[in-house]
Amino acid sequence: MAEIPAEDPALIARLRDPATVREAFSEVIAVYSEPLYRQIRRMVQSHADADDLLQNTFMKAWQSIEHFRGDARLSTWLYKIAVNEAITHLARERKRRGLSLDDEQSALAAAIEADTHIDGDKLALDLRRAIASLPEKQRLVFNMKYYDDMKYDDMSTILGTSVGALKASYHLAVKKIEQFFHNLD
Amino acid sequence: MTVPEGYFADFARHMEAALPERPELQQPQISMPRTMWQRVRPYVYMAAMFAGVWCMLKMFTILTGAGPQPLDTNTIMAEAMGNDAFVNEYVIDDLSQWDIYDEMMDEGFNPCVLTDSMLIDTITD
Repeated sequence: MAEIPAEDPALIARLRDPATVREAFSEVIAVYSEPLYRQIRRMVQSHADADDLLQNTFMKAWQSIEHFRGDARLSTWLYKIAVNEAITHLARERKRRGLSLDDEQSALAAAIEADTHIDGDKLALDLRRAIASLPEKQRLVFNMKYYDDMKYDDMSTILGTSVGALKASYHLAVKKIEQFFHNLD
Repeated sequence: MTVPEGYFADFARHMEAALPERPELQQPQISMPRTMWQRVRPYVYMAAMFAGVWCMLKMFTILTGAGPQPLDTNTIMAEAMGNDAFVNEYVIDDLSQWDIYDEMMDEGFNPCVLTDSMLIDTITD
């Protein structure tokens, strides 16, 4: 599990300095590529898609780096871009393949089966199947809370949803995952 | 969830190479002095907005015929003010003792000079 790196004030200061911004952004890529990749990968399941979306995320962040004013944390800003990229990708795929939201869950489950970059741990595989069966919003919230141990306040900023609604989504997601494992037994 | 061997190191290297140059980030931001118009513009816009709202309300009042009417064009009020009973009942009734006293003083009333009609004959114990 890749945890969200702690905010480095010196790195933020270098990002704001025109003389050091490029060098500092290279460091951002090195520090944040793994946690962002894992977040995206949990949403889209496929390594190839996650790789593309991660590149898009950093490219968009670089194109708008001057708009990062430090009001939010750097990690929150990057997560927001990454999650938006992943949501847009999923919606585009759904439209391209004419899938409903339910079909998408089945497609994600199929992608887990077909993915060659998945380790053989059955429990982890079942958990990913259970997560893939969740509605999109609950899947996002569960991933952020369970895998990244993200605070509800940060999630609220990234997803633009109230903390109360996020807690409710997480609670529902946990119940559904418990039910999924109960049905497996 | 696994990733290809050395993926993140390769990714960082490729990503850094793929980032386009942004010379505009290197250029220092030259802050131009603000002109007088730029300084007063928000206040002018705000004043124009209030003037617009006032004009709108005025137009609405004129178009609907609502609002106060002078006595000479308000026939109902003109007729009422010509009616002594109405004036005594509703207009004079609103006067306080001080209003009446002021009016009397303006008309030259001297409390030291009382006419016979004003005298109270006697006060009996």
